[in-house]
Amino acid sequence: MSGMKDYERYDGLGLADLVKTRAITAKELLIAAVERIEARNPAINAVVNRMYDRAESAIAAGLPAGPFAGVPYLLKDLGAYYAGAVTSAGSAFFRDALADHDSEIVARMKRAGLVILGKTNTSEFGLSPSAEPKLFGPTRNPWNLEFSAGGSSGGAAAAVASGMLPIAHGTDGGGSIRIPASCCGLFGLKPTRARTPMGPDLGENWSGSSVIHALTRSVRDSAALLDATAGPDIGDPYWAPPPRGPYLAEVGTDPGRLRIAFTNRPWSGHPVDPECAAAVSKAARICEGLGHHLEEASPFIDEEMHTKARRIIRAANTRVTLEARGKALGREPRPDDVETITWMTAEIARTLTAADYAWAIRAAHQIGRVVGRFFTRYDLLLTPTMCHPPPKLGLLGMSGDNPDVYWQAHPRAVAFTALFNTAGNPAMSVPLHWSADGLPIGVQFAAAFGDEATLFRLAAQLEVAKPWADRRPPLS
Amino acid sequence: MKDFEQFDGLGLADLVKTRALTPKELLNAAVACIEARNPAINAVVDRMYDRAEAAIAAGLPAGPFAGVPYLLKDLGVYYAGTITSAGSAFFRDAVADHDSEIVARMKRAGLVILGKTNTSEFGLSTSVEPKLFGPTRNPWNVEFSAGGSSGGAAAAVACGMLPIAHATDGGGSIRIPASCCGLFGLKPTRARTPLGPDLGEGWSGASVGHAVTRSVRDSAALLDATAGPDVGDPYWAPPPRGPYLAEVGAAPGRLEIAFTTRAWSGHPVHPECVAAVSQAAKLCESLGHSVEEASPFIDEELHNKARRVIIGANTRMTLEARGKALGREPKPDDVETFTWAAAESGRELTASDYAGAIRALHQVGRVVGRFFTRYDLLLTPTMCEPPYKLGVLSMTGNNDPQAYLQALLGTIAFTSLFNTSGNPAMSIPLHWSAQGLPIGVQFAAAFGDEATLFRLAAQLEAAQPWADRRPPRH
Repeated sequence: MSGMKDYERYDGLGLADLVKTRAITAKELLIAAVERIEARNPAINAVVNRMYDRAESAIAAGLPAGPFAGVPYLLKDLGAYYAGAVTSAGSAFFRDALADHDSEIVARMKRAGLVILGKTNTSEFGLSPSAEPKLFGPTRNPWNLEFSAGGSSGGAAAAVASGMLPIAHGTDGGGSIRIPASCCGLFGLKPTRARTPMGPDLGENWSGSSVIHALTRSVRDSAALLDATAGPDIGDPYWAPPPRGPYLAEVGTDPGRLRIAFTNRPWSGHPVDPECAAAVSKAARICEGLGHHLEEASPFIDEEMHTKARRIIRAANTRVTLEARGKALGREPRPDDVETITWMTAEIARTLTAADYAWAIRAAHQIGRVVGRFFTRYDLLLTPTMCHPPPKLGLLGMSGDNPDVYWQAHPRAVAFTALFNTAGNPAMSVPLHWSADGLPIGVQFAAAFGDEATLFRLAAQLEVAKPWADRRPPLS
Repeated sequence: MKDFEQFDGLGLADLVKTRALTPKELLNAAVACIEARNPAINAVVDRMYDRAEAAIAAGLPAGPFAGVPYLLKDLGVYYAGTITSAGSAFFRDAVADHDSEIVARMKRAGLVILGKTNTSEFGLSTSVEPKLFGPTRNPWNVEFSAGGSSGGAAAAVACGMLPIAHATDGGGSIRIPASCCGLFGLKPTRARTPLGPDLGEGWSGASVGHAVTRSVRDSAALLDATAGPDVGDPYWAPPPRGPYLAEVGAAPGRLEIAFTTRAWSGHPVHPECVAAVSQAAKLCESLGHSVEEASPFIDEELHNKARRVIIGANTRMTLEARGKALGREPKPDDVETFTWAAAESGRELTASDYAGAIRALHQVGRVVGRFFTRYDLLLTPTMCEPPYKLGVLSMTGNNDPQAYLQALLGTIAFTSLFNTSGNPAMSIPLHWSAQGLPIGVQFAAAFGDEATLFRLAAQLEAAQPWADRRPPRH
C-alpha cells in the first residue's frame, strides 16, 4: 500500500484525531480507504457501489467539525437514503431506485464529519442473515472466503474486518448488526428501539424490530457514533428512553458489579454448536474475573408465538415493499423481480389478514413484557450471538434450488438475536472467541430497554481485558 | 357533605389530609350523588361501593388523591375481580384476574374506585349508547349525547357525582365528551400512560389513557401519578421536564398559536363551533399570545383509510380473541350492528394493508411534527358539531350506516389526527351554545409537550373560569 501505511491501526476516532491535529488530511484518509477497497474488494465483495467522486467533493466543500471529521464511511445499501444515489436494498427490483433526499440518519452521519465513499452489500431487503444477494453476488468472510460474513449487514462487517475502514453503517431487524459482527470478529451494537431515526420515510420498520447503527472495531467508535446519530427526528411516532449522558463517557467508566445471567439454550430449542457454547463459557469466566456476578438464567419465551408473530410482520412488510415498488414502476411485482425466498415471504402475506397483523403486534408486545421483567432481575443476559460458527456461503442464500434449506437455516441463525428486536432492548455482539478453524465467534450481551450505557461500560471493560483490535484476518 | 361538588379532586384530598373530612364521608357523598342522579343520566354502569369501603377500611396509600372517589371507564383497564365489559354483551361476564398497571397507579395515588362508567362498545362510537347498558345522557340536556366513548365518565363529572374520572382516547374519546359536557379533557402524548401488562399499545399507538376533570390541576396531578413507562413497555414517551402540577400556574410566555376552523376532511363546521374558536382565539390574544390562521396539510383520505384499517383489524382481533376464550366463533348478534361491520371490514383486509396503514399513519405524524416546529399550539374546534341528539351515533339504533359514519367522522374530524400523530391535545370548555350546550375547543401541542397545554389551560381557567358553570338539576 502506498500512502498512509498504518491506516488500519487506527479506529475512527483515532483517524479523526490525526485529521484534527493535521497529521494527515481527509483526502489522504480517503485515498487510503480507496486503495484498500480496490485491493481487497475483488476477493471480498463488500462494497457494491463506489462514490469516490462524491467523497472528494464533500471533502473539497469542507467537512463539518464533527467527531469523525474526515473519517471514511460506507453506507449499507438498505434502509438509508443518500440523495442522488441508488438504494438497491440488495434487490434487482430496486436496482435503479434513486433517492431524492437524505435520510435523517445520513444527514447526521454527514454532520458527524464522516466521508461517505460507497455502499456495502446486503441480502435482499435484509431478509437473510447472510449477504449473498443475486444482484451483487456474495460478500465473503475475510477470515475465510468460503464462509459467509453474516448478514444482512455483511458487506459492512467484511469491509471493516478486512481493514477497508474502521467503522461502517449497519441496520438490525433480527440480528443484522450482531450476526455479521459475530461472523467477522467485530463489535456490533444494536441500539434500543427508536434510538436512531428511520425518517423521514418511515416512523419505524418491521413494527419496531429494526434499528440503525454501525459495525465497528472499537467500542468507543460505536459509542461516539451513537452520540452523533441518536435522538428522535421531528414527527417520529416513538422516542427511546433518553440516555443518562453521552455514550462515549460510558466507555472507560467502571460498570460496577453487574448481575449477568447467561444461557446457552435458544428459546427455539435449536442445537448450539460447542464452539458457541465455549465462547459463552469463556466470556462468562472473563466477566467473573472482572468481578461480575454470573448466573445461569433465561427468560421464559413462548418461541412458537414469537416466531409466528415475526413471520407475519416480516411477510406483510415485504409485501408492502413489493407493492409500493410495483406502484412506483406502474406494474405488478412478478416472482422474478426478487429472489425466491423473498417472493415466498411476500406470498405468505397473501394468506394473512389485517387482524393477524394486529395479533402479531400484540404477541410481540407480550414477548417484550417478559423480556422487560427479566431485566428487573439482571443487568445483562449473555448468550451466543449465533447457534453456530459463520455458515458456509450458500446455506442462507435466498435463490438456492431448495428453499427448505433456507427455511431450516434462517430461524437457527437468528435464534438468539431476534428476541431483542421484538422486545426492543439493546444488545451487542462482542468478539471474544475464535473457533479452532480460526473463525470468529461472537457472544451477545443484551441489556434493559434503553440501557446502552451498561453495554458500553462492559464492552469497554472486555476490550481492555481481552483486546481484539490486533486480531486480523489473513489478507488474500 | 353539602358542598362536596364545590371541590375538585385535590381540594377534596386536602380536606381529607387536614382531617376536615374522612374518605368514608366523601364516599358517602359520591354515592348519594350517584344514586340520586344516575337514574336520569346513566353514567355509572357498575357499582362497587363495598369494595370502595373495604379499600378505605384497609387504609389508603398517602397519594395526592388519598380518599377521593373515582370511577373507572368500563373499557381498556382491568380491576381484579370485576368485569370489564367494554360496553359489549360479548364481554358482559369477562372478569379480570389482575389490575392493569394504570389502575394500580391510580390506587397508589389514593383514589377510591367505587364503580365503572358507561362506554360505547369497544369505544368505537363517539356517543355512549351501548345496547348493553343503554345511553348515557348529557347532564346539560338529557335528549343529547354526553359524547364518547368516555361519555359515562364525562356525564358523571359534569353532573357532580365526582370531580375526576378515568377515560381513554383513541380518536377523541376524552376530548369529545369533555367538549359535550363542559369539562377539561386532556389526551396525553402517545405512550405517556401505560396500557400494560395486557397491551403494549392500543390501535397501533392511537389510544392513550387519562381522565376527564373539572379542574386543570386535577388532570395535571393525576398525570403525574400515572405517567411513565411500565416494565417491558415497547415504547416510551418523551420524559416530562418536571411535574405537570408545577406547570399549572406557571407563565406560558408568549405562545405561537395557530388556529383553524377547517376540518381536514372537509366536513362542514357548525357556526357555534366556529364561534367557540373565535372566542378562544380572542381570549388567547388578550393574554398576550400570538394567534394566526394556519393548519398542517393533511392527506385526510390516506389518514382516514389507514385509521379504518387499524380499527377494523383490531376489532376483528378482539372478537376472535374473545371467541377463543369462550370456545366458539363470534356471531353477528354478539355485538352491535356497526361493531360487526367494523370487524367484517377487518376480515377483508390483509396483513400488508395493516403494515401499509402503519406506514401511512407515520407519514401523517411526520407532517404534524413539522407543523409544531413552527407553532407551539394548534387551536381548533373539538368537534364539527355541538353535541348530537341521542340516536344518531348509536351503533345499533341508527338504521342508516352512511348517516352514522358521516356523523362519526364529523365528531372526530379535528381530534383523531392527534391520536394518529401521538401529540397531546386537550378540550377546554370556553363556550356554550345558544341552546345552553357546552362547546369545547381543542388545543394540540408538540409531541411530548403536555407542559405547554397545562400552562395555557391554567391560564385560560383563571381568565375565564368554568368550574361554577353547572348543568341544571334533574
